[in-house]
Amino acid sequence: MDTLGLTEEELFAAARAVAPGDERRRFLDRTCLGEPALRAGVEALLAAADRAERFFAEGGAELEGLKAEVPGLRTIPEAPGTRIGRYRLIEQLGEGGCGAVFLAEQEEPVKRPVALKIIRLGMETRSVIARFEVERQALAMMDHPNIARVFDAGATELGLPYFVMELVRGTRITDYCDRNGLGVRERLELFVHVCHAIQHAHQKGVIHRDIKPSNIIVELHDGAPVPKVIDFGIAKATTAPLLNGASTTAHAQLIGTPTYMSPEQVELDRIDIDTRSDIYSLGVLLYELLTGFTPFDPGRLAECGFDELRRVLREEEPPRPSARIAGPPGDVLARAAERRRTEPDRLLALLRGDLDWIVMKSLEKDRRRRYETANGLAMDIQRHLNFEPVIARPPSWLYQFQKLVRRNRVVFAAGGAVAAALVIDMGTSTWLFLREREARQRAHAAEIQQARLREEAELRERITQAALLVNREQFADADELLRGVTFAAPTVEGAAVLRSLGEWHALHGRHREACERFERLLQTDELDGWDVATLDALRLGPELIAAGETVRYTRFRQGLIARYARTPSLGTDRVLKISLLVPLDETTARGLAPIADLTKRQIAESDHNQDSFVSAWRSLSVCLWEFRSGNAPAAIEWGRRCLAYPDFNAPRMAAAHAVVALALKQLGRHDEAARDHGKARELVAGRLRGRMDRGTPVQGFWFDWALAQLLFQEASATIEPAGG
Amino acid sequence: MAEITRLLQAAGPDAAVAAEELLPLVYEELRRHAARRMARERPGQTLQPTALVHEAWLRLFAPGDRPWRNRAHFFAAAAEAMRRILIEHARRKARRRHGGDCVRVDGEALDRLAAPADEKALLIEDALQRLERRDPEKGRVVLLKFYGGYSNSEVAECLGVAERTVERHWAFAKAWLFREIESRG
Repeated sequence: MDTLGLTEEELFAAARAVAPGDERRRFLDRTCLGEPALRAGVEALLAAADRAERFFAEGGAELEGLKAEVPGLRTIPEAPGTRIGRYRLIEQLGEGGCGAVFLAEQEEPVKRPVALKIIRLGMETRSVIARFEVERQALAMMDHPNIARVFDAGATELGLPYFVMELVRGTRITDYCDRNGLGVRERLELFVHVCHAIQHAHQKGVIHRDIKPSNIIVELHDGAPVPKVIDFGIAKATTAPLLNGASTTAHAQLIGTPTYMSPEQVELDRIDIDTRSDIYSLGVLLYELLTGFTPFDPGRLAECGFDELRRVLREEEPPRPSARIAGPPGDVLARAAERRRTEPDRLLALLRGDLDWIVMKSLEKDRRRRYETANGLAMDIQRHLNFEPVIARPPSWLYQFQKLVRRNRVVFAAGGAVAAALVIDMGTSTWLFLREREARQRAHAAEIQQARLREEAELRERITQAALLVNREQFADADELLRGVTFAAPTVEGAAVLRSLGEWHALHGRHREACERFERLLQTDELDGWDVATLDALRLGPELIAAGETVRYTRFRQGLIARYARTPSLGTDRVLKISLLVPLDETTARGLAPIADLTKRQIAESDHNQDSFVSAWRSLSVCLWEFRSGNAPAAIEWGRRCLAYPDFNAPRMAAAHAVVALALKQLGRHDEAARDHGKARELVAGRLRGRMDRGTPVQGFWFDWALAQLLFQEASATIEPAGG
Repeated sequence: MAEITRLLQAAGPDAAVAAEELLPLVYEELRRHAARRMARERPGQTLQPTALVHEAWLRLFAPGDRPWRNRAHFFAAAAEAMRRILIEHARRKARRRHGGDCVRVDGEALDRLAAPADEKALLIEDALQRLERRDPEKGRVVLLKFYGGYSNSEVAECLGVAERTVERHWAFAKAWLFREIESRG
């Protein structure tokens, strides 16, 4: 061959037209039969092709940079004083891979300083500006203290697109936090502002698409840090739509860092990007603020080629933030702690649990499992800062199983092939029939799928709005918005809204309404495995009793027992407690006995771990169990034990005193009963004097109070009969 | 413009050399010209500014004065000129960065793919010279695409081949060059 191997070249061209993965492998199996050397050559070329795209795109960007340095070839007029449209360049502020930012002065209609960004990606200027124009109205509607406004876009005299923005002078958020040694809490507080800015944009219909530290600048206003999100609308304008699969533009656009991109952003059909893509990028940013690292190594993502990049973002599970800094080498943790003005152990303890799960929830591969909105993410962080339970939590077993299936799709597909072989044995006519039926089913499934997607989109919108209303404490409006809405797919945010609405009704004494919301909440919990359900059961139980719904309460209690009798969980003592609000019948007692035993064993565990907070709550459950089982002396003993744990918690102590009082009364020890009852009354009265709100784990949540209140009323009815 | 005309006349038949000397001089002027044209252009046309610059160059001189044999010849010569100017500049920068004219091999040779800024173009250039020796036709495609910045249809017109062929050559050449660069790293 006089030129490059012709066959290799032809094969390369043909294989490129076949989708990568199994299909392409099969194609090469067929075409390279018996020619392993040829195949190896073609495969090496194909493997090189992806990385070559990036390499050439970067090489091309380099050439543009070189042009700017050669006098006479300069494509950006850098000289101060140069006029671009109605702006005059004053000085260059920065230079990136794809353009340069200038301090400029707008001359009319008002004189003001602005930031002017010139893009030199070698993109077609007119379509960049056209895409910007599409979003211009939405951009104009954005008005938020944490968003830098985008004023204008146009083409320079030399034909390069430029954008004009509110001038923000400050430090990128990660640098600001590190240089000022901000602690975890301060970082979270800054980050919450960023979430609110993104939420505002989302509500105006604008997706940022390029959230990363260099696009979030911290400015100081009277010494207070104010994060500003810049570059809204620019990523979209400079992203060409992909029409024919993997064209070169797909790679050229990835010149920037893919570190902050969501899995769906690197898919070939990137038409379907929604607000949840920004949630993912926020998750990466939060990860970095907490640990100093991004979930995946940026160098690796930049060099690994497009197919591999997609695979990593779609399949690889990054380490949890705490695991990332706990891992070797050892000085990583020490340095991360120092930058956050804390001790290594303390930092790890801070990240483990809530913050780990909040971050991982934002980074879910499947966007349906991320926070529905930026607001949802912000609210969860706020909950964490307020020491309230967060929505994010470890993935349920069901979810993990689904992931296993997803990872092993090849194996499942092989199972399918065996099935197909059997079908062929059944004879062609059967096969044709099955195929026809399958086609019909597939068409039908596609229709259903589309309808579902539309519904989901609408529902998500409603959930987001309701969440926003709840956040502004406009509960009545939120309640109206979700009236009668049930969720068919797991939605943590939807659950959070229902929880808030139920609590709102409960705190206003509208018990029936509260029950209805909580019942829907528990149904929603069930869609997602049962991890949170026990906590939510604590909400529904007392409300059912308060609403006088004894029949529904019995059914609810039976459901709980059926589910929890055998599996120990963090919620075991909650199930026990919430099933004992009213006296026991025999069946219920039998069902609860194993749960009570589990709880006793768990007390030994939490005692061993010196987790007195948990031990105290568990002891209360056992105390109540012994009392309802007719074992008054044991109830008294457990009640005293509960009260002996060191941490103060008013509702738990009120409940313990009430149950102990009831048990003492049963044994005829009236004076002692009156003393414990009196203590319960003091605690309950203290609560009534305070503001009625949701509470915290330390003061006690309202639902803990609801339980205490019920038990106190029962004790009062027994110890001070009417008129007594 | 008078100076440019003089240079052009003095250049005589050696077109590529003339372009190398001329291009920096007239580039700015041409881009302005192109931008004015783009502003008047009807929507739907998608010429890149660089291509327009070169078109403008063609229009700048009356047919009699034009030292180029034809449009295609000019496109190739302009790209070649751009290539020489930029690569020369990049090499100077690389020499400065690496400390004088000595070539340092330690470390750097280990990871050429993570070459420092401005040196990817140099790696591509070296590999391109090898490609040009083995397959001149693909070499020309790379020249026009990479240094000239032309669209596939412009390159097709310039080389007198189908657009599809340009697309195929360009894709193959990139993979081949990259493999070449990688294997020498």
